[in-house]
Amino acid sequence: MIADQQGVVDLVKQMLLKGRVDAVLMPAKVPAGDSFAYHLIADASLLGDALPLPPIMPVQGARALSNVTRRGRGSKRIAAVMRPCEVRATVELYKIGQVDLDNVLLIGVDCPGALPLSDWFGDQRRAEDTFQQLLRDGDSEGVRPVCRICDHFSITGGEDWHVGMLGRKDILVIPQSPKGKNLFLEWGISSEDISSWKQKVDELTEERKQRRSQYLEDLRSQVTGQDGLMDTFSKCINCHNCMRVCPICYCRQCFFDSDNSRFEFEDYLGRAQGQGMLRLPPDTMLFHLGRMLHMSLSCVSCGACEDACPMTIPVAQVFSLVGEQNQRKFNYLPGENREESPPLRVYQEDELHEVERP
Amino acid sequence: MSPVLKLNHSTDEGVRELLKSLLVSGRVKGVLCLSKMGRENAVIYSLITQPDVMDKTVPLFPVMPQNAGGILSHLTMCSPSPSPIAVVVKPCELRAFIELLKLKQGSEENFLLISSTCGGVYPLKMDASEVEEKLPQYWEAVKQGKIPPGVRSACMACENFIPYTSDMTISLVGNSAIAEQSHIWLNTSRGEQFASDMGEVSSQEQFAGDMEAFRHHRQEQKDKLVTELGQIDLEKVWGRCIGCHLCSKVCPVCYCHLCYFDSPVSEHEISDYETEVDRKKRVRVPLDIIFYHLVRLFHVATSCVGCGMCGEVCPVNIPLAVISLKVGGAVQEVCDYLPGRDVGEELPLTSFKVEEFAAVGE
Repeated sequence: MIADQQGVVDLVKQMLLKGRVDAVLMPAKVPAGDSFAYHLIADASLLGDALPLPPIMPVQGARALSNVTRRGRGSKRIAAVMRPCEVRATVELYKIGQVDLDNVLLIGVDCPGALPLSDWFGDQRRAEDTFQQLLRDGDSEGVRPVCRICDHFSITGGEDWHVGMLGRKDILVIPQSPKGKNLFLEWGISSEDISSWKQKVDELTEERKQRRSQYLEDLRSQVTGQDGLMDTFSKCINCHNCMRVCPICYCRQCFFDSDNSRFEFEDYLGRAQGQGMLRLPPDTMLFHLGRMLHMSLSCVSCGACEDACPMTIPVAQVFSLVGEQNQRKFNYLPGENREESPPLRVYQEDELHEVERP
Repeated sequence: MSPVLKLNHSTDEGVRELLKSLLVSGRVKGVLCLSKMGRENAVIYSLITQPDVMDKTVPLFPVMPQNAGGILSHLTMCSPSPSPIAVVVKPCELRAFIELLKLKQGSEENFLLISSTCGGVYPLKMDASEVEEKLPQYWEAVKQGKIPPGVRSACMACENFIPYTSDMTISLVGNSAIAEQSHIWLNTSRGEQFASDMGEVSSQEQFAGDMEAFRHHRQEQKDKLVTELGQIDLEKVWGRCIGCHLCSKVCPVCYCHLCYFDSPVSEHEISDYETEVDRKKRVRVPLDIIFYHLVRLFHVATSCVGCGMCGEVCPVNIPLAVISLKVGGAVQEVCDYLPGRDVGEELPLTSFKVEEFAAVGE
């Protein structure tokens, strides 16, 4: 069971009405009513179709917030309401200067998962039923594979406030950051007892961890090794859409879209002659490996890449597997702590000897 | 009368044999066509240089993982091929390449361009194994000059299924002999030269089968799709767009290295958002969703070859292919221009005269 989403809408509505924030950034329906998009809303009366947990995640919230604040802070105070993976991606982008959080109150909400975009846009009525069942039961086979194995579906550490919803009738607002706690004091909001909610979250986290390790173990056997990886990506058409929707892949121009990735015809021919054939366009695997190397330490397993892949390659699952592995090596959990530096920025020469080769 | 190379193999085999012979004899240094790859037999384009790898090729497989026009442009952007390469592509891919040549985005030098009359291709998301299962019914329909059920909507509506600028054209649509023989039309002296000694060449007046009837089926489908789409309501049609711009990335004629909408020029200051939200009280993030689609249509309408890749890849199922068909078709009609028909034909916007379209300016 999940608390009524209206509680979250009422929370931000009150903040707008009381002038505590100037605008709210959260998902709301698009005019045609068939999808959802992040909206910046400054009028409480326009929150009617807003909802913190739409059935799908069309645009990753961190990307939306980065779009608004990437070039610097504004004069308005914004409350941004997001799913936990979106909060975590926001925190990662904050660390690399791609969002400005000074005037932002970052609010995360407990998340039951999201449905694949293809299911929603395939049969909306059926998807709506699945989602209602998901809200009722807190679990469903209809959610995206990475959501099914997500063990960071609740408070993450990087948010200002977190809204507890799992296993509750009404919402539970939990101040997290010093800024979030100060605002509680300033606005005279009293903290509630979170122990019973916390216990449920911990139980579910434990369940999910087990499901996750089982699932990733199976996946690992399919995708590891050069052949496994090549087979997994054999359908890839090198469109780079996984990169384009990834909140962490922030480069304005990807190396693989640049002139550095264009060669003389003779080079292509030479490469083809090496193995008798060259897959076209070339460098598909190199792109995925390059992307993995660049973003896997910050990967929050949000699944946006897989949703946007036109070839239904399980790219989010593979990246989740690799990401977790790499993050563990550095004892790093992306999005957990705003003040923590990304591992590559604080890398010491005297580290990771186990991966060195003589 | 045109020279036609006849081979006593099924067209599928015949074409593969021809390509292999070209490679073995050293007449070409490489073959660019569809081939199977990996455990799941994904079908994608490859450049093949060794004859023994030719067994993996499926030059006529009814899929289009990418529009090969874009691939040919990518490969020849820095320099043309130094040696002859046989290229097997679908008619709309060839047309896209011709448009890209007009836009100075590559070179056809040393390419032996081979195409076929085209029955259409299956949706991008269909697994190769499922396509494999459908092959018997596909070829049966193609033989009879009918539209194979289940092909992409863009293909159902395509009237340009006969290639315009190929050196060789493989006769498929309406050709009842495809299971036993290969009929390869030699359209240019280059085509004839490469085909010499490859088999019996005879002269033929026209393609077997009723091409006009097939075109008529396609026209009907096109009218139906365009009518179903109706008036384009901007919010309704593009409102669900997630702004990934994948439609432009897979579009062969959207050739800009850096799209305006991916450039710093279209990154907004937060003040832009604040001004908008002060004015309207509710603003969608990111901005410019519909603007992007309008500009894209404006940029590609004259050169759109109707390949349908945009619609195939859209993560939120916007009927982009039909929109392009409708808008591209209308613009091309007004300009009296058929993209990819002839490399010597100028692009409408480069040959624009001040006195043209006076009515639009009134």
